[in-house]
Amino acid sequence: MTPAPLSDDEALRLRHGGGDDRQRLLVLAGTDPALAARLAEWDRQDAAITALYAPVADEPVPQRLRAALHAAPAPRPRLPLWRVAALLAILGCGFAAGWGTARLTPPAEAPRLAAAALGSYATYASEVLHPVEVSAADEAHLVKWLSKRLGTAIRPPDLAAEGFRLIGGRLLPGDTSPAALLMYEDDLGRRLALYVTRSEGQETEMAFAEEPGAQAFWWIDGNLGCALAGDLPRDQLRRLAISAYHGLTEV
Amino acid sequence: MPLLDEIEAAIPGLRAYARALLRDRDAADDLVQDTLETAVARAGQWRGEGSLRGWLCRILLNRFRDGLRRRPAPVLALVQDPATPPQGEARLMLAEVHAAMGRLPEDQRAALLLVALQGMSLSEAAQVLGCAEGTLASRLARARAALRQMTGRDEGPRPRKGNQ
Repeated sequence: MTPAPLSDDEALRLRHGGGDDRQRLLVLAGTDPALAARLAEWDRQDAAITALYAPVADEPVPQRLRAALHAAPAPRPRLPLWRVAALLAILGCGFAAGWGTARLTPPAEAPRLAAAALGSYATYASEVLHPVEVSAADEAHLVKWLSKRLGTAIRPPDLAAEGFRLIGGRLLPGDTSPAALLMYEDDLGRRLALYVTRSEGQETEMAFAEEPGAQAFWWIDGNLGCALAGDLPRDQLRRLAISAYHGLTEV
Repeated sequence: MPLLDEIEAAIPGLRAYARALLRDRDAADDLVQDTLETAVARAGQWRGEGSLRGWLCRILLNRFRDGLRRRPAPVLALVQDPATPPQGEARLMLAEVHAAMGRLPEDQRAALLLVALQGMSLSEAAQVLGCAEGTLASRLARARAALRQMTGRDEGPRPRKGNQ
C-alpha cells in the first residue's frame, strides 16, 4: 500500500521541524522522486537566499547601531543627506525621514518621471524589432527632431565610457511636453532608457526608484526632467546617470 | 553574558534579516537601530525565556509593520542591490531570486527569511510571527511556490495542496 503523498505544508513542517522530522522526510524522499525534487528545489532556494543576504552579517557594524545600545534615543537623520536634500527641495516643506518619525510623502513629479521612465523601459527595451523609431545612424536628424518637439535643445549623452552606445530614440507623450526616449545598448545587449521631458519643477539632486526588474535614477535639471532606467547594478546605473546628467545639456 | 552584550552579538544577524526584508541598506539599518532602541527600552520585559534572537526579531517585525502602515502606496520604493554582487554563472540565478523575493508579499518574505536565512525552526518562527505553526507552514508553501514560479523553475509537478 502506498502512503498518500505529502502536501507542501506537511513536507515543510517536517523540513523545518526537529532533527527526527528532517530524518523522516529524507527517508520518505528516498522512495518519492517528486518529493525529492521539491526538497532539492527548496534547498536551492535557501542556498540562494543565504548567498544573497547572509554576507551582510559579515559587514562591519555601523557605530550608530552599537551606540543605540548605550545611549538614550535621540532624533537623528534617517536618510543620507543627499536624499533628504533632494526630497526637501521638491517638497518645499519639511518631512522627517524614515522609521519612527514621520511619513515619507513622495514628491508629486518624481513618481511620474521615474514611473514614465520605468514604464518606457519595460515597454521598449524588450522590443527586438523596433526598440526605437529613429535609429542612431541618423543621429543628427534624431537630435533635431526630438529637440524641436520638446521645445528645448537636447543632446544624447555619450555613455561609451561605460560601454553603452546610442541605438536611437522615440517620441512619447508627456505631461508638460512630449517626452524623448533615448535608448542605449551595451555589448551584452543590455539596454538603458533615458527619458527626457520638459519640467517646470524645481531642480533636484538625483534620486533612485525601482520596480521589479528595473531601476531608475531621476533628476530635474534646469527645464528638463530626466530619468535613466535600466536593469543594472545600482552603482553602475548611478555612474551612467551622472554621465547622462553632464552630457545632456553640454554644448 | 550581560543582556546588552547578548543583544550586541545579535546585531549582525538582525542586519542581514532587515536588509533582506527591506532591500535597502540605510532603511534596514534604521530599522535595526529602532529595534535596538526598543529592545533596550524594554529590556525589563525580557525574562530570558525562549531565544533572545526570537524576541529581537519579533520587535523588528513589529517596527517593520509600523513602517509599512506609515508608508504611502508602494508604487516606487527606494531600494538597494543585494549585499554581495554575485559572481560568475550563479549571478543570473541569484539576481532572479533577489528580484522574486522583492515581489513576494511582505508577510511571506518575512516568514521565509526567518527559516531560510535565520535558520529558525518552524516553531521558533511561528512564535516570532505570533501565528500557529500550520498557518506558517501554509505561508511558507505559498512563498516557495511563488518563488519557484517567478524564477522560472515551475516545470516540475504542481505544488501539492492538502490531500485529505
